[in-house]
Amino acid sequence: MQVNLMDFWPRILEATNQTLLMVGISLLAATLIGLPLGIALVVTKDGGLLENKPIFNALSSVVNFFRSIPFIILLVAILPITRFIVGSSIGTAAAVVPLVIFSAPYIARLVESSLLEVKSGVIEAAEAMGATPWQIIARVYIPEALSSIVLNLTIATIGLVGASAMAGFVGGGGLGDLAISYGYQRFETDIMIATVLLLVVIVQITQTIGNVVSKKIRRQ
Amino acid sequence: MIEFEGVSKIYEHNGNELRAVDQVDLSVNKGEIFGVIGYSGAGKSTLVRLVNLLEYPSEGRLLVDGEDLTQLSKPELRKVRKRIGMIFQHFNLLESKTVRHNVAFPLAISGVPKKDIDARVEEILEFVGLSDKARQYPDQLSGGQKQRVGIARALATSPDILLCDEATSALDPETTKSILKLLRRVRDEYNITILMITHEMNVVREVCDRIAVMEHGRVIEQGSIFDLFSQPEHPTTKNFVRTVMENEIPASILEGIENRGASRHIYRVTFVNESAGQPVLSGVSKSFEVEVNVLFGQITELQGIPFGHLVVELQGEDKEIVRAIDSIQRSVTVQEVKAHAG
Repeated sequence: MQVNLMDFWPRILEATNQTLLMVGISLLAATLIGLPLGIALVVTKDGGLLENKPIFNALSSVVNFFRSIPFIILLVAILPITRFIVGSSIGTAAAVVPLVIFSAPYIARLVESSLLEVKSGVIEAAEAMGATPWQIIARVYIPEALSSIVLNLTIATIGLVGASAMAGFVGGGGLGDLAISYGYQRFETDIMIATVLLLVVIVQITQTIGNVVSKKIRRQ
Repeated sequence: MIEFEGVSKIYEHNGNELRAVDQVDLSVNKGEIFGVIGYSGAGKSTLVRLVNLLEYPSEGRLLVDGEDLTQLSKPELRKVRKRIGMIFQHFNLLESKTVRHNVAFPLAISGVPKKDIDARVEEILEFVGLSDKARQYPDQLSGGQKQRVGIARALATSPDILLCDEATSALDPETTKSILKLLRRVRDEYNITILMITHEMNVVREVCDRIAVMEHGRVIEQGSIFDLFSQPEHPTTKNFVRTVMENEIPASILEGIENRGASRHIYRVTFVNESAGQPVLSGVSKSFEVEVNVLFGQITELQGIPFGHLVVELQGEDKEIVRAIDSIQRSVTVQEVKAHAG
């Protein structure tokens, strides 16, 4: 087993940066899409604030459609779309597009389940007080569910870290790619161990931050 | 203030029709505390939700302060809802907000300036006795305190009507009493009309002026609290009255009456209002040649006024007994009890 220390740390560092970048941007974009989508699912649902069967059925079908495609297939299937959006079908930026399309519907479902935890009585009370549907969304649903939404976004983030490992397929780089191409294919076990440890650390830190923030929101 | 005219609420369920509220006629006067009592599933919750249109009536007309709310646009309805406060069995407070922000909520959504909100919240928290809890969160409060926050929130917009949906059903008896006392103050000090639904007779006994009894979506009996307690007609009403006051003569006593022959003079003496405090019976045995023997009885309190009845046996000459009864009838209601009738 040969260890090239000159090479080792810079590569790890670069891969870590790529992972954090991919996960960070994807999380942000996927939340911007998934959060409103999750809210829309809840309010258009049967008996919801703005009950609307056609819209609910359409949204729900789209979400289910994207959630049923395995990420590795999605990654290659949408290459033309990726090229259209970021101008290239390879590289870190190109990996972000499938990551967003993969996790936005997931986040929508997570947000939906968080919002459904808000007791219907609280919503009813707000309606009885003469609140508009928008006021109920902004001042009741979101603040009441925020702590749970944060925990669910933490789950989505960790899912993204995992999915980003497959980004190597489109030359996205990142820790997962490093582990596969060096650690596995070139038998550099130390690289493999280092990347896996780093991924473990990233996941631990993410979960801890999620727990702390969620707890803090519950008692702001 | 609130008028139900032949109001029904019908749910369709798998082709079956469920009449949750069936042809209800009710009228709640301004400044009154009106109670609707019934077992669970009687349609009370639906009934109270019809008033602020959380449930839409299927038939009939419902007027709030002379206005048919079903004719209003959505913005107009929201405006009217701000004049109808509502409190709930499970309080329905915002868990993520402090007591102060919960009470401020209805004002904040109405665009009231922050300075005015602060002043109003302070005033209303003082009224419900929670000034020191303003910065706490609902899960740090007891059930009774949570309901006080609920009441403060409902009163924040100075409504004309307060709807109470089983407001004390999740509370212990002591806390229930204190909440009912508070509700009475709400009526007395702000002249707010209160419509409350409950399944507990001791709740309506404590605060209601008039009550309606509901069963299977229908109002089966209604009247003043004294009427319903002294002369319940429907079996369900009788059952409810019995939960707080035994109205029937126990079997053992009836048996005694039957066995000792029909020549006995047994009467049911009903006390209402101040008469419960008067020494009616001892006066009779002094003034007339009769002995009074109390067989059974119960005195309770309705709205803080003693109310009850005694079953007594008068022993003496027939002539004297007739005179004695005449005299008692001037201050209390007397009915002869036949041995077989009970």
